[in-house]
Amino acid sequence: MKQLRSILEGIGSAIFLMLRSASFVGTIPSQFARVIEQCYLIGYTTLPIVAILCFFVGSVLALQAGYSMQDFQAQQFIGSLVGLSMARELGPMMVSILLAGRVGSAVTAELASMKVYQEVDALVTMNISPERILVLPRLVAVLVMMPVLTIIANLVGWYGGAVVCRYTGFIAIGPESYFAAVRHVVKFKDVFDGMVKAEVFGFAVVLVCCNIGLNTRGGPREIGASVTRAVVASLILILVLDYFVTKVLI
Amino acid sequence: MNNPQQTARVGLFFLLGMALVWVTYESLSGGRLFKKEGYTIVAGFENLEDLKVADDVKMAGVSIGSVEKTRLSKGRAEAILRINPSVKIPSDATATIGMAGLIGTNYIGIDLGSPGAAPLADGAEIRTKVTPDINKIMTQLGDLGQKLEGALGSFSTAVNGSGQAGGGLFQKLDRLITENSAKIDATMSNLQEITTKLNQGEGTLGRLINDPKLHDDLVATVGELKTAAGQAKTFIADAQGIVSQVKSGQGTLGVLLYDEQAASNLKGTVKNLKDLSDKVARGEGSLGRLINDDSLFLSAQTTLKKADRALDGMNDSGPITAVGIVANSLF
Repeated sequence: MKQLRSILEGIGSAIFLMLRSASFVGTIPSQFARVIEQCYLIGYTTLPIVAILCFFVGSVLALQAGYSMQDFQAQQFIGSLVGLSMARELGPMMVSILLAGRVGSAVTAELASMKVYQEVDALVTMNISPERILVLPRLVAVLVMMPVLTIIANLVGWYGGAVVCRYTGFIAIGPESYFAAVRHVVKFKDVFDGMVKAEVFGFAVVLVCCNIGLNTRGGPREIGASVTRAVVASLILILVLDYFVTKVLI
Repeated sequence: MNNPQQTARVGLFFLLGMALVWVTYESLSGGRLFKKEGYTIVAGFENLEDLKVADDVKMAGVSIGSVEKTRLSKGRAEAILRINPSVKIPSDATATIGMAGLIGTNYIGIDLGSPGAAPLADGAEIRTKVTPDINKIMTQLGDLGQKLEGALGSFSTAVNGSGQAGGGLFQKLDRLITENSAKIDATMSNLQEITTKLNQGEGTLGRLINDPKLHDDLVATVGELKTAAGQAKTFIADAQGIVSQVKSGQGTLGVLLYDEQAASNLKGTVKNLKDLSDKVARGEGSLGRLINDDSLFLSAQTTLKKADRALDGMNDSGPITAVGIVANSLF
């Protein structure tokens, strides 16, 4: 009962946080530098890990599909399978999970320590809204960066699949045939749907992480607990939202 | 922390991302996602089967557009096809629903049509042809299988029996053979005996088969028969000649049969004869009286008796009295 109440409290406070942040949308141009900084942290620094992870996700997908399909001699469909899976599901999902692990934890830790060390209280005292300078730039940055990360994730994943198909003995599908299959099945709508998904996931992850960070109570030990909670909540939220967003987009 | 270099990196990164999005969009959709290019044509079918929106439209195997929409209209299923503007479809081209793979990917196939026909306009309807539905074929195959199974079942029942008294064909045959094995053995041995005899030339049939003399006789008989047949042929030819002569009215018989004058003469003669015989029968005329009247006969008889006597007298008295005797006998 207590847990249910804390979950409902979390949802409610996150919504209020979003609304309060939205009320400062007009201040975005004046804090452009902050947005750029967050873009750098969220997008640019996350790129290498996204690229590595998605390359291997695509590779493993192609490998498993090839292994399963060799019984049916259906290897020419690997491109379609990897292409569609990466564009519609795995690309946005992997980027969001990495965002939760790498950026979400950092955001929560930063905001929780600011909260614990009363920097947030100081901002409030100075009549500077923490939503305006701490939350809004991050939300804007994540909305800007998620499509970029997602398209890179998709392309790298497709490329990983192509490499595996080319150099695996029992698949032996050339890049031309592989990408022809990708192009035949994957429409831009699929990629677009994936980017919409990534936007939703990224926004939710950053919002939840900011919310948990700002709601941290107690001493420095609570910072670690908040980070753990934020990452777990983000991962669960990604998977739950995934179902509903997919349902809406289909 | 926030410096121009960082800003530049973020800017570059963002632009790179947008460029990748654009490249992907161009290569996947050919720039045709949001704006609709080309023209639409309507293809009406009895059943669209597994055709879906965005399935290919192919002309002679080349992709020329896609299925934009499927709907029910005017009691049939319609597929709205969006065709690339560079492709003109002749008005006599025919659309069919094809299956691209075993996993159920369908497409609309359009044939080339005749080059001289006018192209279809936007919103026009293309002619369609029904293709056999694989499900229907499968259902028919299933029905066929059931019927075959039923037929084989009844055949099997007929052959093997279904447990009721009497059993099936094979059981009956088996019983028949088992029960009559002694008779069959006897028949077989008789047959063997007969064939042995035949082979050895014994008996009528054996001699018939084995004796060469019989063959020679038979050949001779056949030769004679041939000769007889030849003669018969000649006879028939002669007879035919006669018949044709008769038919043409030549010869006595011909005249008799075909000459009406002769027939009427004959009739008159027969009639006269009949009249004559009637008169004779009635005793009319000299001949009738001669035949029917006994008095003449009696008179003659008397005269002859008298003559006989006169002759006897002449013998006695000599020729002198002959005249007297004649006169005496006459008066």
